[in-house]
Amino acid sequence: MMKTDVTVIGGGPAGLAAALKAAEKADVMLLERNKELGGILPQCIHDGFGNFIFKKMLTGPEYAQHYIDKIKKSNIKVKTETTVLEIDTNKNIIATNSIDGIMEIQAESIILAMGCRERTRSQILVPGTRPAGIYTAGTAQRLINIDGVMPGEKIVILGSGDVGLIMARRFTLEGAKVEGVYEIMPRPSGLTRNVVQCLDDYGIPLHLSHTVTSIKGKKRVEGVTVTKVDESMKPVKETEMFIPCDCLILAVGLIPENELSKQINIIMDERTKGATVNERMETSVPGIFACGNVVHVYDLVDDVTITAEIAGKNAAQYVKEKPETTEEIQVVAGDNIGYVVPQIINNRDLDSVTLYFRVQREKKDASIVVLDGKKQVFEKKERIVKPPEMIKITLSKKTLTALTKNELRIDVRCRK
Amino acid sequence: MNDKGIRKNIEKIILKKKFENVAVKVENKVVYLTGKVNSYDAFLDLGLRIGKKKNVEGVVNNLEYPNKERKEKKKGSASKIGKADVVIVGGGVIGSSIARELSKYKLRVILVEKASDVACGTTKANNAMVHTGIGENMGTLKQKLCVKGQQMFEKISDELNVPYKQNGMWIITTKDSLAKMKLPSFISDFIAKRIIPMIVLRRGKKLGITMNLTKRRELLKREPNITKKVLAGIYSPTYGITCPYLFTIALAENAMENGVEVMLNTEVVDIVTKESKVESVVTTKGIIDANFVINAAGLYTDEIAGMAGAREYTIHPKKGATLIFDKKANEYINHSMSMLRFPRTKHYKGGGAMTTIDGNIQWGPTISETPDKEDTTVTTEDIEKMFESYSPLLEDFPEKLVITYFSGLRACTFTEDFIIKSSKKIKGFVHAAGIQSPGLTAAPAIAEMTISLLKNEGLKLEAKNNFDPYNKKKIVTRDLSNEEKKKLIEKNPQYGEIVCRCEQVTKGEVVDAIHSKIPALSIDAIKRRTRAGMGRCQGGFCLPNIVKILAQETDIPIEKILKNEGGSDLFIGRAKCLLEDKYDEN
Ligand SMILES: Cc1cc2nc3c(=O)[nH]c(=O)nc-3n(C[C@H](O)[C@H](O)[C@H](O)COP(=O)(O)OP(=O)(O)OC[C@H]3O[C@@H](n4cnc5c(N)ncnc54)[C@H](O)[C@@H]3O)c2cc1C
Ligand SMILES: Cc1cc2nc3c(=O)[nH]c(=O)nc-3n(C[C@H](O)[C@H](O)[C@H](O)COP(=O)(O)OP(=O)(O)OC[C@H]3O[C@@H](n4cnc5c(N)ncnc54)[C@H](O)[C@@H]3O)c2cc1C
Repeated sequence: MMKTDVTVIGGGPAGLAAALKAAEKADVMLLERNKELGGILPQCIHDGFGNFIFKKMLTGPEYAQHYIDKIKKSNIKVKTETTVLEIDTNKNIIATNSIDGIMEIQAESIILAMGCRERTRSQILVPGTRPAGIYTAGTAQRLINIDGVMPGEKIVILGSGDVGLIMARRFTLEGAKVEGVYEIMPRPSGLTRNVVQCLDDYGIPLHLSHTVTSIKGKKRVEGVTVTKVDESMKPVKETEMFIPCDCLILAVGLIPENELSKQINIIMDERTKGATVNERMETSVPGIFACGNVVHVYDLVDDVTITAEIAGKNAAQYVKEKPETTEEIQVVAGDNIGYVVPQIINNRDLDSVTLYFRVQREKKDASIVVLDGKKQVFEKKERIVKPPEMIKITLSKKTLTALTKNELRIDVRCRK
Repeated sequence: MNDKGIRKNIEKIILKKKFENVAVKVENKVVYLTGKVNSYDAFLDLGLRIGKKKNVEGVVNNLEYPNKERKEKKKGSASKIGKADVVIVGGGVIGSSIARELSKYKLRVILVEKASDVACGTTKANNAMVHTGIGENMGTLKQKLCVKGQQMFEKISDELNVPYKQNGMWIITTKDSLAKMKLPSFISDFIAKRIIPMIVLRRGKKLGITMNLTKRRELLKREPNITKKVLAGIYSPTYGITCPYLFTIALAENAMENGVEVMLNTEVVDIVTKESKVESVVTTKGIIDANFVINAAGLYTDEIAGMAGAREYTIHPKKGATLIFDKKANEYINHSMSMLRFPRTKHYKGGGAMTTIDGNIQWGPTISETPDKEDTTVTTEDIEKMFESYSPLLEDFPEKLVITYFSGLRACTFTEDFIIKSSKKIKGFVHAAGIQSPGLTAAPAIAEMTISLLKNEGLKLEAKNNFDPYNKKKIVTRDLSNEEKKKLIEKNPQYGEIVCRCEQVTKGEVVDAIHSKIPALSIDAIKRRTRAGMGRCQGGFCLPNIVKILAQETDIPIEKILKNEGGSDLFIGRAKCLLEDKYDEN
């Protein structure tokens, strides 16, 4: 049985930042199942990381390396190629690797930083055969950028999530022909900047309100049938079109990877598919914290790093002294808001609290308001808000101390 | 009735149904149809009508219909590659069962399989239920062999060290069971609640199957998520589940241990006969001399029989699609359940919400005809049909948790029963054909029956005294306790390294599969043996890992790795390969 103060599960940007922060005050062990640290970043060889924290556009590996170097200099115990199999509410962890075998680790506090996984073809029920040549976008990215193999040369991409958009460009740069990106929704699901930089700049067509209704090919993909969908998302048969291709890439969404969290019945948020957390990034189980994509899928790694540091700091603090929960303010997703993280504020004696959320519908000339009961305590104006773009607002100490009700509500309204 | 009488009857049908360009011939109670019809539906219609007639033992339906696919005859290799007492064509559950059964005797046996692995045909895509036989028509060969096969299943599974569970099954009736009949509800409810269960129980008694009638209230207690519309339930405790590919692989490996030669990637293209006797089997790899051939080629049995001049039936494939749900949904039911519906429609053959050997819930199978023996698509209609048929079985089932779906093809004959017999035309040629459901269950009994047919054909059977029925247990780390895992990893660290996160498969297990008796040399072959890639991420995480291990452990370059068969290359080449081509052109 090994003992540590804080055990971090997952060595992506969230786990790295959380471990570093926690290590300022506590003994930390970091467990990562891959060979390399960095999570998804080593395969993200495009730039666009760190604009906020480093004020420059780094590539994924560069961004990760910054933290990996710091980890190497710290006294954090790092175990790679180590998969966590089980956790329990007493913060016992069971992990496995080829050197230590089955490890039992007793921690005072755990930080969950397992990231997310991709939705598959089955989850959206694409009919057809099951040939070779169907990959999720993240897997294709890894195959090309890390393993050095090419999944196909005539590509159709289903779904316009960011990874899919990035891969449309990546395939094009590799000499493949991307026939088009097909998105069932009437709007792209990735960031506008990615639609512009990855599709428009390369002349790759984006077909909105379209989906793939059949996959053809016995051994390898030979083509797909794409169909327009009506307002209720039902395919319109007359619009079917067959597109010959040898590869179908799916970018149809990411889901927080919460197998471990579910083992101990942490309260989950149906909307984020991640754990419900408070302002300290603590889950419903005291002493178990969560950060990064395991909580909700972030757009930008900078925000992952920032919130992970909050988790790291509070996990170390928890080891020293278990804080008393003084109150419970529910943060409510009001008009036109999909979800808000954190969902709960337990202690408002803080310098500030940042709330992250997504809107449900695109709105121009929007006004974001925060209500304490009926009283408006915060307002921020935005020229435009869109579902793919996460919004954050920061409530100041002054605002926080003035709160009177145990419910804080965010609305997004139209100014006109 | 003699052939002449049969022919008269059939000519009547043809006349009545206005088939104009069809000619009939009857020989040894087998009906041969030639001529033309105007659709595949008409081809089926006539075939099935004739197949249902009493005394008809087989229908060879050579009718032409528009867009009928023509197959080119494949060339064999002329070199002699072997000599055997018996050649088995096909390495599905049937061929493999027969191989193992034959390995008990002092014989030289060769099994030839065109795919790169055994269990690649219908045997890999079915519902894995070890049926009791209650669902089959009384008096059929299917039913007889199903009942018998089921009784043999546990012992064989034990010997081979493969999983088998008698997990039980509910046969239920609901308020919807007779909905199609449009009766007043008090009548249909009465029939569904009282009459149907009584008939089922009586049938069970005749077949010697244990079944217990359960009151609605009790049923709802034992299966709280079952539809509130349920009226009655019969519990059948001996209903079993297996893993069809592990079972088949184990059969084939055990047969090999006992001396059978298994030739993979070897397609039978012709069968040479002399004076109506089998002489040799021509394959893509060469010629094997043999006096006895067992035709266990599944969907292709009619074509194999044709090669020998022993065509005595035609196969018309019936597709069945299945949905598999995430293990998160496992606890929704405690036992498999199937809802009875009357009248039986073309598209509903029963099936239900069933558990797999790994505990996942599956819905299926559907049923639909297809002219294409390779048509394993799952169409939008198939998916809709599954939701329509099986969703009413359970309340609030988390239907979104589908992790995969597939379809398989039943090798049906027009007489809709197994055809297990020696050819009347060619001596030494034995059919194990028309093995539709419940062929998996019946496999052990089919194997026994085939052996006795061979004996009648004149094959001398002398038992070996060193036959070893046992297979060693394969290591499955997820089934071990932490203590057992620790010990194992100390001996071989590869069992500590997880390569498939969803199913927790270790590198050691993948390496074992690659180097097993029948080596797993494709991603799907490894998946079938280890479950890597079968979980909810469907290989998104483990595929790159498995590809790498496969390349390391064999001499296959990484970019040449296959999903399953030749041509199913996962990659088109190394990264940058397309750019290099472009530079070359310039
Ligand atoms: C294709 C793509 C493009 C992107 N582009 C940008 C961009 O341009 N700019 C930007 O700012 N952001 C971008 N992002 C987003 C950013 O990469 C993510 O927000 C960030 O990686 C999330 O970090 P994480 O640590 O939460 O998760 P991850 O990076 O996924 O790390 C999670 C880690 O946990 C490990 N793990 C999981 N379970 C276990 C277990 N049981 N035991 C041990 N280890 C475990 C995993 O192996 C993994 O290494 C992009 C993301 C993708 C996928
Ligand atoms: C949807 C569905 C659900 C089912 N569910 C059940 C169930 O729950 N329980 C049950 O008992 N049964 C079930 N069945 C039936 C069962 O799957 C089959 O009866 C059984 O798998 C048939 O096995 P086989 O060996 O005859 O055929 P196959 O598995 O198809 O084997 C035939 C083999 O012959 C090979 N072959 C063909 N041509 C050649 C050639 N020229 N040269 C060399 N090799 C050749 C093929 O490659 C193939 O491997 C189901 C079937 C379907 C389709």
